[in-house]
Amino acid sequence: MTADRRIDGDGETAEPPAEDLQAVYDRIADHFAKTREYAWPEVASFISDEADRCGSLDRALDFGCGNGRHAQALAEAGADVVGLDVSRGLLAEARQRAAERGFEVDLVHGDAARLPFGDDRFSQVVYVATLHHLPTRDARQQSLSAVGRVLAPGGRGLVSAWSTAHDRFDATEGFDTTVDWTLPGGKQVGRYYHIYDPEEFRADLAASDVEVVDCRLSSGNCYAVVSPPDRVL
Amino acid sequence: MKESLMEIIRCPIDKHELELAVEDREDGEIMAGMLSCPECGETYPIEDGIPNLLPPDMRDDAAA
Repeated sequence: MTADRRIDGDGETAEPPAEDLQAVYDRIADHFAKTREYAWPEVASFISDEADRCGSLDRALDFGCGNGRHAQALAEAGADVVGLDVSRGLLAEARQRAAERGFEVDLVHGDAARLPFGDDRFSQVVYVATLHHLPTRDARQQSLSAVGRVLAPGGRGLVSAWSTAHDRFDATEGFDTTVDWTLPGGKQVGRYYHIYDPEEFRADLAASDVEVVDCRLSSGNCYAVVSPPDRVL
Repeated sequence: MKESLMEIIRCPIDKHELELAVEDREDGEIMAGMLSCPECGETYPIEDGIPNLLPPDMRDDAAA
């Protein structure tokens, strides 16, 4: 399945076109949130590894928080959590989930490529299933560098993106595509994805201001654990 | 939003610290207000308790 394959717009200035993404997620927020109940096991492992490594979690960012399921997992592990999303509709879902489940999260409406946080603010960042929605390679690399920037020294981030290794794709090279979301009643809403091939995922990490601690494939997604870049003091 | 969030949030454009003007506060949460960047002069609304820190070109009112 290689429909809509086209050449990625390298060299374009990052013009995060999340206007569309915003509108799409605002539209599907309610139904999307209902289908996102549990934290991904890879995220749960990262959180428990971090709790072991650090003793306790400090301030964490759920970057692309959606309905807040990973914000909830971070909060339940003891973190003070900030959740950022581009969709107001999803932020409303996250707020409702926090109220219903009794966890705390500070919500921020913002864009992944122009992250509105100060340097060194977070001990953990979970940036899961969000990177692949950014439509230019520049924007994706900027967002990865932003993870490195907002992580405090000694902090760790978990990054994931959908990969060509997933069963539903037969490609071996990364490509752009539109994946439909089917609303109840059958109406379909397309969401932009860049599907990463694992080598390209590594290359984007290498081109960004983060250090890669670990990089692997799991459940059809590329995962990386990252730390902030070594800075000259 | 809680006022403590001011330590964390920055202008999305130049990462400068923001200034806060509160319009409505309920139970310690800022429900409405305005964040402004003294560096670039841009302002960001706090709507329904959530700061809207989208860059101006991505806000609804800029979509047209």
